[in-house]
Amino acid sequence: MAQVLMKDLNKKYDEVHAVKDVNLHIRDKEFVVLVGPSGCGKSTTLRMVAGLEEITAGEISIGDRVVNDLPPKDRDIAMVFQNYALYPHMTVYDNMAFGLKMRKFPKLEIQKRVQDAAEILGIQELLKRKPRQLSGGQRQRVAVGRAIVRHPQVFLFDEPLSNLDAKLRVQMRVELKRLHDRLETTAIYVTHDQVEAMTLGDRVVVMKDGWVQQVGEPLELYGHPANRFVAGFIGSPAMNFIEVGIKDGGALWADTAGFRVKIPSDRTDRLKSYVGQPVTIGIRPEDLHPATGGDAPDSTFDAVVEVVEPLGSEILLDVKVGANSMVARVDPTVRVKVHEPIRLALNAERLHFFDKKSEVAI
Amino acid sequence: MRCVARVAAPGITESGRGVGPAAAERVVFERAPMRWGRWRDAPSTPFSRRRREIQFAYVLLAPTLLLLVVVLGYPVGWEVWTSLTDLSPLKDGSADFVGLTNYRRLLADAEFWRAAFVTVVYAVVTSVAKLALGLGFALLLARPFRGRTLVFLAIFLPWAYPAGVSVIGWYWSMNPPIPTAYAPFMGHLKYGVDGVFGGGAWAFLSVILFNIWRGSSFIAVLLLAGLNAIPPELFACALLESNRPWRRFWLVTVPLLKPFLALGVFLSLTSAFADLANVWMLTAGRIVFPVIGTHAYWLAIKGGQFGPASALSLTLVPFLLGVLLVLFRLFDPPEREAA
Repeated sequence: MAQVLMKDLNKKYDEVHAVKDVNLHIRDKEFVVLVGPSGCGKSTTLRMVAGLEEITAGEISIGDRVVNDLPPKDRDIAMVFQNYALYPHMTVYDNMAFGLKMRKFPKLEIQKRVQDAAEILGIQELLKRKPRQLSGGQRQRVAVGRAIVRHPQVFLFDEPLSNLDAKLRVQMRVELKRLHDRLETTAIYVTHDQVEAMTLGDRVVVMKDGWVQQVGEPLELYGHPANRFVAGFIGSPAMNFIEVGIKDGGALWADTAGFRVKIPSDRTDRLKSYVGQPVTIGIRPEDLHPATGGDAPDSTFDAVVEVVEPLGSEILLDVKVGANSMVARVDPTVRVKVHEPIRLALNAERLHFFDKKSEVAI
Repeated sequence: MRCVARVAAPGITESGRGVGPAAAERVVFERAPMRWGRWRDAPSTPFSRRRREIQFAYVLLAPTLLLLVVVLGYPVGWEVWTSLTDLSPLKDGSADFVGLTNYRRLLADAEFWRAAFVTVVYAVVTSVAKLALGLGFALLLARPFRGRTLVFLAIFLPWAYPAGVSVIGWYWSMNPPIPTAYAPFMGHLKYGVDGVFGGGAWAFLSVILFNIWRGSSFIAVLLLAGLNAIPPELFACALLESNRPWRRFWLVTVPLLKPFLALGVFLSLTSAFADLANVWMLTAGRIVFPVIGTHAYWLAIKGGQFGPASALSLTLVPFLLGVLLVLFRLFDPPEREAA
């Protein structure tokens, strides 16, 4: 059990600056997910913690030790890879025992630990098989088992579920969460899948182009994204963005062709300085619904339905608003037809505003 | 939707036939995704269908079999037959069948045993050296460094060059055609080696060195391809568990490379066992240490004794088959399927 501290962490390759000034404090027993599009530096960061990549500048400590100059083996971490990285020439048992054997653990202790881990993961029956005789899900379990038996201070997961099919991924996600609740080992988990990040992480770190964009609990990221990138990355379907001008007419109005909405009074303080300037407005698909008599007229607008995606529990409507496209997530009872006009209302309290240039939340 | 229909259909057919609970159980078993395609025929005529498939497989294989018979079966058969006769261009009339006489004479011939011994030494020494050097080069080239392309070229060039050119190059470096600073040194080396091990030892040693020089570059490229085919995570994973490179090398790199190492050993041993070209080209026939290949060539082409020469070259076959079988086991170890 240990905390992990990253201080001004940087990684530079010849021409690429992959990780830029990352500062993270991962607490003891915490499950932290690094998420971002490919090339954002999340895997590189993880590999620096593991010791598989050299640190260009900055400092990493695990527990109370600075590990910059420690070889990977002495960092007391265990890593699970995307492609499982099981040795094809060893049985499942030997694969799981490999790390312990290398560390010269007594045979009985190895046996006990492997049995325990196999029991936790439900793979006792597979111990004598070779990896190629296993399914993808079983292989992933063995890979996790190999990490568990080491009783490390920190688990490192590098996209461990990306090679599994969708259904299995959801199932393993739940199992990993349960496992973490049980073992309470600090874990750093890298993924490009925001759903995985949101469901697994105690806290989520969103990265892009080597920079940390925002660190926070899942719902905090969802409700209060720090910038337009985080807003668009977290949540599916993604947040709608349209560019509007801020107009002062007694109250403040967000205004563009075919879309004119009153800005709630509690937001006017911050937006006052933007009057006459363009800003980006963000609307979550679930904050849109067909307008009824109960909706204030100054938060409704006209749209034309372009695509209807009936998902069963909900319907996604791709609509055109003036020159802008939006997605609305509406009740499955709503009946609309393609190319028909529809009047939509939005939940003005939950609008997001972003500076057009800096893309920072206002 | 389609998938569901496919799975459901067999169940309906079965119950329609009224085959009973046993069939129902089988339906569940047969629902395993891999079997969908085969479902329809499986319960009715599994054996006749399998037989038809086997017959068809032979039809498809026929052209290959024919080719093998023509280019492999016929010559080998002819050689086996020749080894049992006294066929010779020096003899008038047709060849007579002499049974195993040629083989019996060989076994009694000290020259044969000497050639066999030299061949084994040649094959084993060159193979071990080629494997060690090749593996070293491959490991060196597997990680990126400045100037890797140049080193790769330097290592691969001896193999990429035509054999004749390589031989001349090697011959000239052993025995410079123009006066050079190191020519006297090479001369001393030759007389030194010949003085200790007898005349012709230096020539034989130079053939061994040539084979290693040229062959290790080929083994290096083969093993490099093997190393590149191994997912890097497997090495990263070992790095997380051990600080000692030598240990990681034996416990991870070598087992993972095993199929490629086996292929390398196989190619190296077989080419050395059957080698004639390298020895002949480098020594131009002035051979003091004959190998089986050169010995057979002498007998057949220079001596006109086709029968004994055939018998001689066929003595290599059991060796080669043995090597092949052992290595085939390494390529493709028999599966121990867990139930």
